[in-house]
Amino acid sequence: MKRSLVPALAALCAALLFPGSSGSSTTLKGPGIIRITSRETNLTRVDTGALGRSPGDMEISRVLLYNTRIRQRPIGHGQLVCIYVGDNLRNCDGTFVLPAGKLVVSGGLVYRSLYDLAVIGGTGLYSNVRGTLIVTRVRQKAPPGDVLVFRLVVS
Amino acid sequence: MTTSRWQSLESRLVAASVVFALLVAFVFAVLILSVSQLRSATAREARAKDRTVAALELEKLVLDMETGARGLVITGRERLLQPWTTARRQLPHGLAVFKERFADSPQRRQAETLDRLITAYVRDYSVPLVDLARHQPAAARIPLATVEGKHRIDAIRARFTALLDAENRFAATSAASARSRSQSAITGAIAGLAMSALLIVGFGVYLARAIARPLREAAAGASLLAEGDLSTRLAQSGPGEVGDLTRSFNDMAQKLQSNRLELEEQNERLRESERLKAELVSIVSHELRTPLSSILGFTELLLRRTVDEPTRRSYLEIVVAQSQRLATLLNDFLDAQQAEEGQLHLAEEPIDMAAILREQTRVFVGQSDRHEIRLDLDEPLPMRGDSSRMAQVVANLLSNAIKYSPQGGLVEVAGERAAGDVRIRVRDHGLGIPEDEQPRIFTKFFRGGAAASGIAGTGLGLAISREIVEAHGGGIGFTSTPGSGSTFWLELPADANGDAAENTATKGDT
Repeated sequence: MKRSLVPALAALCAALLFPGSSGSSTTLKGPGIIRITSRETNLTRVDTGALGRSPGDMEISRVLLYNTRIRQRPIGHGQLVCIYVGDNLRNCDGTFVLPAGKLVVSGGLVYRSLYDLAVIGGTGLYSNVRGTLIVTRVRQKAPPGDVLVFRLVVS
Repeated sequence: MTTSRWQSLESRLVAASVVFALLVAFVFAVLILSVSQLRSATAREARAKDRTVAALELEKLVLDMETGARGLVITGRERLLQPWTTARRQLPHGLAVFKERFADSPQRRQAETLDRLITAYVRDYSVPLVDLARHQPAAARIPLATVEGKHRIDAIRARFTALLDAENRFAATSAASARSRSQSAITGAIAGLAMSALLIVGFGVYLARAIARPLREAAAGASLLAEGDLSTRLAQSGPGEVGDLTRSFNDMAQKLQSNRLELEEQNERLRESERLKAELVSIVSHELRTPLSSILGFTELLLRRTVDEPTRRSYLEIVVAQSQRLATLLNDFLDAQQAEEGQLHLAEEPIDMAAILREQTRVFVGQSDRHEIRLDLDEPLPMRGDSSRMAQVVANLLSNAIKYSPQGGLVEVAGERAAGDVRIRVRDHGLGIPEDEQPRIFTKFFRGGAAASGIAGTGLGLAISREIVEAHGGGIGFTSTPGSGSTFWLELPADANGDAAENTATKGDT
């Protein structure tokens, strides 16, 4: 079963991530789910205003994106820029660069361990999509690792 | 007598046995097939139930994980995580069993999807959530966690529901198929048994009709034959050898009947021969004794006494007449013997029956002064034959006409040619022949009531006459009215050349 499941998932992911390789059209034709993992490569905190965490502080994280079912090397990268608006609440904008195009996300979050953001658009294959991104931290130790699940619908 | 290959009883019995064996084999094949299909359907149903059990157990593990994680997230108590811990430990085995059970199922792809969803749920959500709940409980309690968990669990449960529905339908179909196969097997068995029973009964009826009944009839017929009823015949029925048996029986009965008839005829001939011998002895003893007594008496008188010349001459004439009578008797016996042995020798020469009739009429006119013999002839009446034998026949008819008209009277003799034949009639107006004696008057030594009436004779004359006439290719017959006289007739083939010979002969009285 594992042998039959892995190629199927790989094909699905490949279709969503590498549309050119499957010969499909240039935009997504229907809803889809992209499950990838990320490994944080860099986290930068910019302390503005009052010392310590205060509204206006920025947090910039950069990640490498993986789909280990397809290959062990990164398939893309991403960056998320968050601005603290009070307490732990921060407003974030991010871009995830995948082989088939970019996905642009935006929204607020409280905990980095579990949050969701809105997919507000994209480029390339994802130029006509929107949806949600659910991020779950699965590795707490450095470098932190997350599972990113994009649930996309065609807009 | 013999039967063709497929008409023989043996072939029919073998063919019937083969048909019966094939039917039984077919019935058993249907039964085996039905039972096999029933077992297969039952096994499919059982596997469907096993898959349902595996799916339910897996769903329970997933729900236990969700429940345990939710308990930890809400309360923060590790104790409430126990179901999650247990379920997670059992989950790999449950997934393995689940995948193995669905490996050959029509719902295999749905099972694969469920496996993927559950794996993702555990790896991407549940385990991180528990970890988050332990280290950052507030983060684990955010609505997103609940919504995401519900979203994933709802998806998994929906998949389980669809999978179980499909499995239930499959199990129901398998159960229905099993019931159908079971019903088919029972129906097939009943039909096969019924057909076998019918075939056996039909075969029994066939054997009873084709073999037992003909044999019973043959046994009854044999009993009748044994009791002497040789007219017994069997109906030509029954196949093959049985038909041969009835035909052989009928042939045997026919042969026995004909043999018995032949034996009876031989017995009758033997009895007739015995009777003829007895009559011969009687006739010989009587017919020979009378003239011999006369001859002996008169010759002794001549030896012992001295008689005058006229008396001596009279005695000697009597001796001569009685000697001639003896000679005639012996000639008749000899002729009868020759005729019986087929050694009656006849000359073949042109003769004129008119001359013979005239000559014999002249002879018999001189012998009786109480009878008037009237002759009515066509001239000539040519034919080919033995004149002395034909004269013997005519003399016999005239002699009989005179003897059997003891009161005297008219004797009419006629001869004519008609349609290539010479026809001769001798008619008297005497005693006639009783009706019961008429069929036998041409039989040797048969004299009917003549002997009792004192009319002399041997009973050979008409028998010899018929032999002679038939030897000439002609026929002899008579009509007679008892008390009014008789008419004897001859029909002889006329000589087409028409030259009658002068060769005539005279023959004495018979």
